[in-house]
Amino acid sequence: MLRAEPLLRVDLMVLASEMQDAALALARYGEFNPVSCSQEALTDTPAAAYRDAWLEADSRLSKLLEQCGDTGPLEVPMEAEAPTLDDLQELNRWLKDIWTACLACHESSSQTAEAHARLDALADTLATLEPLNVDIQRLFHPNSLLAIQIGSLPAAAVRRVTEALSMTGHVISRFGQAGDQVFVVIAGPRARHDEASGMLVQAGWHELPIPEELRTDPQQARAWLLNERTRLNEQAKDQCRYLDALRERHGARLHEARVRLALARPLAEAATQGISGKGGLAALSGWIPQHQLSALRAMLNDRFHGRYWLAQREPTAIEAAEAPSLVRYPAWLKPFVPLVRSYGVPRYGEFDPTLPFVLIYLLLFGAMFGDVGHGAAILLLSMAGRRRLGTLAWIGMAAGAVSMLFGLLYGSIFGYEDIIAPLWLSPLHDPVRMLSLAVGFGAAFLGFTMLINVYNQWTAGRTGEALFESSGVAGLMFYLGAILTLASLSGQATASLPGALMLIAGMATMAAYKLLTSEAGLGERLLVTLIETVETATSLFSNTLSFMRVAAFSLNHVALALAVFTLANGLDAAGQGITLVLGNIIIIVLEGAIVAIQALRLMYYEGFSRFYHGDGREFRPLRVSTGRP
Amino acid sequence: MSAYLNTRVSLLSAHLWTDRALEELAGASDEGMADMLSRHGLAQLTPNPEDRPGQSPAPHSLEQRIVTQLLDETRLLIRPLSSEARAFLTYWTARFEMTNVKTLIRSKMADERPAAILSRLTPMGAFGRLDHQELALAEDVAELFRRLEAGPYAGIVRHARRAFEQSQDPFHLDAALDRGYYDGLTQRARPLEKTAGDAFRALMAHLIDRINLVWLLRYRFNYRLPPAQVYYLLVNSRYSLTGPRLQELAALDSLEAVLLALPPPWKERLSDSADIAAIFATMEQFAAQEARRQLRNHAPEIARAFAYLILRERDLRSIRSVLRGHHLGLDVADIRLALRRNASELH
Repeated sequence: MLRAEPLLRVDLMVLASEMQDAALALARYGEFNPVSCSQEALTDTPAAAYRDAWLEADSRLSKLLEQCGDTGPLEVPMEAEAPTLDDLQELNRWLKDIWTACLACHESSSQTAEAHARLDALADTLATLEPLNVDIQRLFHPNSLLAIQIGSLPAAAVRRVTEALSMTGHVISRFGQAGDQVFVVIAGPRARHDEASGMLVQAGWHELPIPEELRTDPQQARAWLLNERTRLNEQAKDQCRYLDALRERHGARLHEARVRLALARPLAEAATQGISGKGGLAALSGWIPQHQLSALRAMLNDRFHGRYWLAQREPTAIEAAEAPSLVRYPAWLKPFVPLVRSYGVPRYGEFDPTLPFVLIYLLLFGAMFGDVGHGAAILLLSMAGRRRLGTLAWIGMAAGAVSMLFGLLYGSIFGYEDIIAPLWLSPLHDPVRMLSLAVGFGAAFLGFTMLINVYNQWTAGRTGEALFESSGVAGLMFYLGAILTLASLSGQATASLPGALMLIAGMATMAAYKLLTSEAGLGERLLVTLIETVETATSLFSNTLSFMRVAAFSLNHVALALAVFTLANGLDAAGQGITLVLGNIIIIVLEGAIVAIQALRLMYYEGFSRFYHGDGREFRPLRVSTGRP
Repeated sequence: MSAYLNTRVSLLSAHLWTDRALEELAGASDEGMADMLSRHGLAQLTPNPEDRPGQSPAPHSLEQRIVTQLLDETRLLIRPLSSEARAFLTYWTARFEMTNVKTLIRSKMADERPAAILSRLTPMGAFGRLDHQELALAEDVAELFRRLEAGPYAGIVRHARRAFEQSQDPFHLDAALDRGYYDGLTQRARPLEKTAGDAFRALMAHLIDRINLVWLLRYRFNYRLPPAQVYYLLVNSRYSLTGPRLQELAALDSLEAVLLALPPPWKERLSDSADIAAIFATMEQFAAQEARRQLRNHAPEIARAFAYLILRERDLRSIRSVLRGHHLGLDVADIRLALRRNASELH
């Protein structure tokens, strides 16, 4: 629970003709995390074509299923076999045919929409020209000296086009807009029409063809427009019919394709990591939990009856840096895991901070939001909404319970400080002690994070970093020295000399190590050393003071309640009741959320940033997909 | 933060190459080359044994490694910058993503397999905003455009798609993408020109004036496009070559006439240039001088960071020429000649 499970690196060699079955068997086994094969002698990539075909087929199927809506859970028969490369390629070709037909429908639909927009523009043009009593036929006459074009342009291009057209003696006038398309009339000397046309093409110009009907009688023109709209609507209906019929016509086969692609997925996924081979052999490499080795052998014997070769070894130091991290948590801890994983995944061998995170996070939340009444409200609301909130409800329940506990310690219930006696101390009545305790807790917390960092670095073989870095032993020595010195100067301890010695020794060690290990010119190294040493000192100081917020929020909680009481006391009985209820709701929702975020911030920035790299890799075993492909 | 960034830029500037160092690199042995590259913070560009002619190529191409280097250094520089400056330098890296967009579109036109397309795209690391796999798996160009138009470069791509649909000419596509990108860059530069003043504006002016003049000459006299179309294809500019000035230049009939009509100081600087490549090289040389001046002076931090990145990219283009020449087994004299010519490569 505090560290990732020990893993074994395995190389499984099978016949290339059976590699899809091997990958499927490993997916059903459920404990094999594929990685690229490191055997240099195996230079072929026998699964590359399989992976490419699967990627294409899967992409096409996903797009088709968006049309069909067949995205529910998938039953994959236990005895079903993975498709061969030929099967997969045939399936891919069929999916391509279907999707291409769908695309043609989509393309046609968007063309129909554009045609409707053009008809609208034509109708607008007609309406504009009709009252002017202009002879349209004459206006568009091909032998006229004046060339007139009606069409659309992207709105963003109009200014530039206007400037460019002025170079050819053309003028432009806009008369409508649909979306980002502007409808315009362009007029200019016919002799220079060609000069303008190339530019218009570049600008995305769409000419509106003016049919003969529109150039004659307005009545005829309107009838023509109506007919065109009817024709386009019929065309659109045909396209919709094809898409609607897609599920009916191909639904069963598409569902079968889902199953076959789910069976092919393990090999495609493993091939994405890299499957090597030579001749008729293929090698699948990956990580498995150490204690699962015998189960793996049993499964392979059962499935391949000796037609395989399996090698396993513990990870080397280099491999360990790349190994995924598999941590199994007890059920009660699982709801909190996403809060830690949102920061990052622990490296293989790195200390997993989930358990201390949960304990300290809840402690901080309770200390900042200690109130029996408000805690109980959070607890009850989380319990009531646990179906809707899912695992989040468990976090709410735990936070509510801890808040109640601290409420008893502080003697606070719905902000009232005089109903129950504090079992420990009341923040309002002893704020200085509260502040001192918060800073003391912060110092202990930072020291703890440094110790974890030393452990992490040491177990990873980075002895130098463990001993001499700012978050290592040298940093810890510097920090403790600084605390002792400050405590002695303020009269709370009598160890100023040892403190000063520890401080100087720690700082000198950190600086010397940084200077020696930086890879740069001397000037840059000196600069980096200076900046980072000063930064270490200032950040430790500010990180420690940052914990004062724990005391500040505990006081803030009481102060908010007092503000609500003061407001309520100035009102009549009804107003008082409403103010008290609303005030408490605001305290629970608003302050509760702020405190939850502040506690998370303290954990991430003052804690995790010191020891937790969070750049590990999640253990992702091959699995048979049962959801949407 | 300002002092930190300025110090960081000054330290990085020590890695910039002089012309003499580049000539030395061209004549260096394998070991000498590795040593020189390492001393300039470019150890990852050291030629691998498998890069030798006749051997299988390295997993990541030299171009991809160069882009990765530039992206790494940009990431280092943008951390302490303000949001506007950070947005500008982030967009500056989007040039490489626009190259990926062009690769995707051309590959789809050629009906290439997704795996082949993916291998040619430049990984953008933390600066990547496109889902390469999803785009490579688009069924055809139409679907690819639809997906791109739902992404971060929707405006640029939509415009390019419309131009392409009307003409079916890949030139229109590339020209629209390039223009759209640089229009976006000048828009993002505008607020910084107010805060970072003349230093930053001078760098932008050199960049955009060079792009506009070279494009104008190329479109007008190599591709024989009409003046209005040439003007439309240029970047909106507020620098030495303003919109009205570019309209006048685009209407002229010869390269010589354009050079004579240029405003000072470009008229004097380019009077001896005989062709577009020489014009580009001269303008880039002056841009590099300006960038070095900003690095030496107490220019605002964004100006110094941008100046460094301009110079670093120029160096890396030269190093690419040297390494390619070395890989192909060319004579040192030819590589040095290419070094002098490599400035003619356009953006």
